[in-house]
Amino acid sequence: MIAATPPPVIAPLVPAEAGPSVSAALTDAQVSVTTRFTGANIVLYGAVFDPQARPSDVVVVVRGPVEPIRIVRKVRVAGVWMNSRPIVFEGAPGFYMAASTRRLGEITGFGTLRRLGLGLSHLTFAAPLEQRVETRYGVADVVVSRLGPEYPLYRRAVVRLQERRALYSADSTAVRFVDRGLFRAEIDLPAEAPTGRYEASIHLFQAGQAVSSRKLTLSVEKTGVERWLYLFAHQRPWLYGAVSVLLALVSGWAAAVAFRRS
Amino acid sequence: MNLYLPIAEVSVNAPVLLALGALVGFISGLFGIGGGFLMTPVLVFMGIPPSVAVASEAGHVAASSTSSVIAYRERGAVDFRMGSVMAAGGAVGSFVGVEIFRLLRLLGQADFVVSVSYLLLLGTVGALMVNDSFRVILRRRRGEPPKPESHRRPAWHGLPLKMRFPRSRMYVSVIPPVALGVGVGILSAIMGVGGGFILVPAMIYLLRMPASVVVGTSLFQIAITTCLVSFLQAGRNQTVDVVLSTVLLIGGVIGAQIGARASQRFRPDILRAALGIIVLLVGIRMGAGLFVTPPDPFAVAPS
Repeated sequence: MIAATPPPVIAPLVPAEAGPSVSAALTDAQVSVTTRFTGANIVLYGAVFDPQARPSDVVVVVRGPVEPIRIVRKVRVAGVWMNSRPIVFEGAPGFYMAASTRRLGEITGFGTLRRLGLGLSHLTFAAPLEQRVETRYGVADVVVSRLGPEYPLYRRAVVRLQERRALYSADSTAVRFVDRGLFRAEIDLPAEAPTGRYEASIHLFQAGQAVSSRKLTLSVEKTGVERWLYLFAHQRPWLYGAVSVLLALVSGWAAAVAFRRS
Repeated sequence: MNLYLPIAEVSVNAPVLLALGALVGFISGLFGIGGGFLMTPVLVFMGIPPSVAVASEAGHVAASSTSSVIAYRERGAVDFRMGSVMAAGGAVGSFVGVEIFRLLRLLGQADFVVSVSYLLLLGTVGALMVNDSFRVILRRRRGEPPKPESHRRPAWHGLPLKMRFPRSRMYVSVIPPVALGVGVGILSAIMGVGGGFILVPAMIYLLRMPASVVVGTSLFQIAITTCLVSFLQAGRNQTVDVVLSTVLLIGGVIGAQIGARASQRFRPDILRAALGIIVLLVGIRMGAGLFVTPPDPFAVAPS
């Protein structure tokens, strides 16, 4: 680790007239999921460079790998609660965190939040399987969702259910300035967080305008035995099945023999 | 001490899981059942996805019933021929069951069907067992002689394909045992149970097998069926978590051996009443969710 790294290239300091900029780093850009994995806490720290020291707001958004989520609605049929047909939301991130210095609505306007996908209500995901293009009144390309007016209900349910599993979160006080221009935020990954590539984007706002941003990547990977077993189970499922059955038979037999002796 | 399960992708408390495995194993050995009907709901309650719980539990039941079969065989209490005939049906049943389960998962109805099956099956079987064993116990208390066994021939006596079962001292058609095996194989795949709680009464009342070989034979059939189910679930659905089933079976096989020994100290009707009460309670508990208004009208469909 120490020996191989070349000396870091020192970027020329931003000249004063270039305007404000933000930079950030993670304490841990590589999270290993091992047998003892119970979740991870990663600190994101960064700095705002602004010679004029204008009031700044920072918004940090962390998106996990896309994981389709299936939502069912509980419906009562003859006194019994049943599930409706599941609705698949594709493009929903498996993890989403929005942290900011203030409430997002105070930092910037609706349009910017929507465009940058900041905050739980501006998350971009859809249920494409439930949408089709139709021609209505001679106008083509009308996207019709079969969910119709219930669509927002389902959408809010996705966010709410993921929040309950600690996979989605939004906190308007989670980015704190610890010193002049120096800020930090914490990323809490629960044990249920999906594995894959995460993207953290850090946006700097001044007077309601996004003036600078930065992107970082974070990878959550199964390592060691966990990774080996997972790949084994998914790449050679029949062999994996045979081995697990053999394991069951041998341990059952071993226990019987051990107890007969004693 | 927490343990991250690679297939279930959740972190669980290892000592708790080990103790649960041992407790369920003890019950399994005591009553001569697989114990899956207890373990699967507990695993789901611990946050393990139902599909993984059902599939991994099959591996655990396979191990503990293998261990018990070996113990029963030494007492000569296993009719291997009858067990094999039933297991042939069980093989067909588990193929069908794994496919049904796959379809139910796609439809998002897996948990609903599992709850309904638990309520109906465990509720009925539990109630019958409690009723039946309490009658026997009451008769004994009153000092009445036990009800004479009815020697009426079962309705299916005339069926073809007869086969000799020397161990059970029977000469019967293979159709009822095969049909029983098919049914239990389907249940085993859908509910993550071995099906002992259905097999044992069915073998006594429907097949009229001698009580001395019923438990050992049902365990033999369960061991074969659950091995097959866990193989098929792994191959077809990739839902067997080998870490989970290993932790469960370490506790399970030890518990099963202790349970099998303890069972010799109790009267069979008392054991049956106790098992009936457990079965009934689990069925009611699993079915209660069907009638209680859910706190959130939406839910994530477990994959």
